[in-house]
Amino acid sequence: MAEDIGDGSTAEMDDYETLMSTTDAELLKTAWRNEKAAPEILQFQAPLVKRAKEQIQLMEETVEEYEESGMDPLTVSLYQMDLDRAQFLLRSYLRVRLQKLEKYMFYIWKNESLWSRLSDPEKMFVQRCIDDMEKHLEETVLSKLPDNYQSVRRQSVISEEDDMVPEPQLDTFIACKARNRFVSLRLADSERPLEMERHDVSFVLYKVIEDKIGADIDLV
Amino acid sequence: MVSVARPDVGPIRVEPDPTLTINRISKGKEMHGRLGSRLVKGLASGEKGQLTHFNDELLNEVIKECSENFLALQSLIRKMQEEGLDFQTTRNADHYGALINHLSLIRNKRCLMAYVYNRAEMIQNLAWTVGLRLFELPEEIQEKLSHLEKDYFKRHSAALESYMSKVDLNLNVDMVPPKDPYIKVRVLDDLGEGIVVSDKAANFARHSMHFLKRTDAEPYISRGLMEELTG
Repeated sequence: MAEDIGDGSTAEMDDYETLMSTTDAELLKTAWRNEKAAPEILQFQAPLVKRAKEQIQLMEETVEEYEESGMDPLTVSLYQMDLDRAQFLLRSYLRVRLQKLEKYMFYIWKNESLWSRLSDPEKMFVQRCIDDMEKHLEETVLSKLPDNYQSVRRQSVISEEDDMVPEPQLDTFIACKARNRFVSLRLADSERPLEMERHDVSFVLYKVIEDKIGADIDLV
Repeated sequence: MVSVARPDVGPIRVEPDPTLTINRISKGKEMHGRLGSRLVKGLASGEKGQLTHFNDELLNEVIKECSENFLALQSLIRKMQEEGLDFQTTRNADHYGALINHLSLIRNKRCLMAYVYNRAEMIQNLAWTVGLRLFELPEEIQEKLSHLEKDYFKRHSAALESYMSKVDLNLNVDMVPPKDPYIKVRVLDDLGEGIVVSDKAANFARHSMHFLKRTDAEPYISRGLMEELTG
C-alpha cells in the first residue's frame, strides 16, 4: 500500500492521480459514473462530450492508418481496444441520460432547472417522447374516459396540481467520494458536520450532496 | 379498503363510509375497482420486463366501469340539485355516494394508466435491447402488442433515431463494456451471402463460426441470429 512507503511517494502518487484524473477519458468516466448513480438527470457535459467525440475520431483515423500501413496486428488491436473503450464510455453516457429522459419525461419537462441541464438534441428528444406518450395514452385510454378525467398529468379536473407524473425517488442514499480536497457536509440530523477526506467513501442522502456532484464530490 | 402498492400507481385507498348503503353505489355487481386491480396485478405477476398479451377485454371493462361511475356520479349530483341542496357543503349519503364514485373512477383511471404506461416503458426497453424496427422484434413479442402499442413503438424508435442522427452516434451498439474488440460467434440462422461487415463481405451460412468485431456482431446477436462463443 502506498501509505507504507513513506510520505514522499504518497505525495507523488497523489500528484500522479491528480494528473491522471484530469485527462478527458477520466473526466468522462467520472461524469458517466455520476450520471449512472444519480437518481436525477445531471448537467450535460457539453464541452467534454465534444472533446471526447473529436478524440474518438482522431483515434479512428489513427487505427485506420496503422491498419493500412501494415503495422503489427497486436499493436493495432491495442489501439482498437482503447478506441472501443472510449466509444463505449461516450455511448453509455449518452444512453444513461436518454433512459432517464424516457423514464421521467413529464417530470423533467416541467422542472425548469432540470430542463436547463439538457443538450438541445435531448430537449427535442423529450419533446417528442412526451408527444408520443401522450398520443398513446390518449388513444388507448384517456379518450374513452368521461370528460373531466382525460388529462395525462392530472387525475381529474379537480386536482390542483399534476398528481400523475412519475417522479424519481430523491429521498435516497448514495455512495460518494470527495473529489480532491477535504469536504465538510452539514447533515440534517447531526450536530457535527461529516468530514470527508479524499478517497473516503461515504453513504449519505442524495439531497445533502446534490449540488456538490461533479464539483467537490463524485458518486461511486 | 382497497389498496394498490405499485410505485407507479401510488397507494390509493378508497374507504367507503360505513353508514353508506352499498347497493346505492355498486348496483350489486362487483366491488368497485376489482377489475382495475386485476389489470395491474396482471402486470406485476409476470416476469419482470416480460410482456404479456395486451388485455384488451379487461381494459375495456374497466373503461366501462369508469363510465358507469360517471353516470352514477352525475345522477347523484343532479338529485341533490333537484332537492335544492348545495353540493359543496351538504354532507349527506348522496354526497358520499358521489364521492365514492369519483374516487373509484380516479382509481380505475390510475390502474388503466399504470397498465398502459408500464407496458409503454417495456416497449421503450425493447428498442434498446432488441432493435429499433418492428420487423426486428420476434413474432412472439409482436403478437403481444396491441395495434396502438406497435404504433407507439415505431414513433418512439423514430424519436430515438432522430436523436442518434443529431449526435451522429449509434447508441444501440456497445451495450456492455468491451473486453475484447473481437469476439467469436456462431451463426444461428441462414443469413447467406451479401452481408458486409467492416467493408468485407462474408458468407454467414448457418452454423458457421466467425471472428468478428464486437460492434459488427452485436446487432445480429441481439436479434438472435448469432450467438457469442465464450470460453
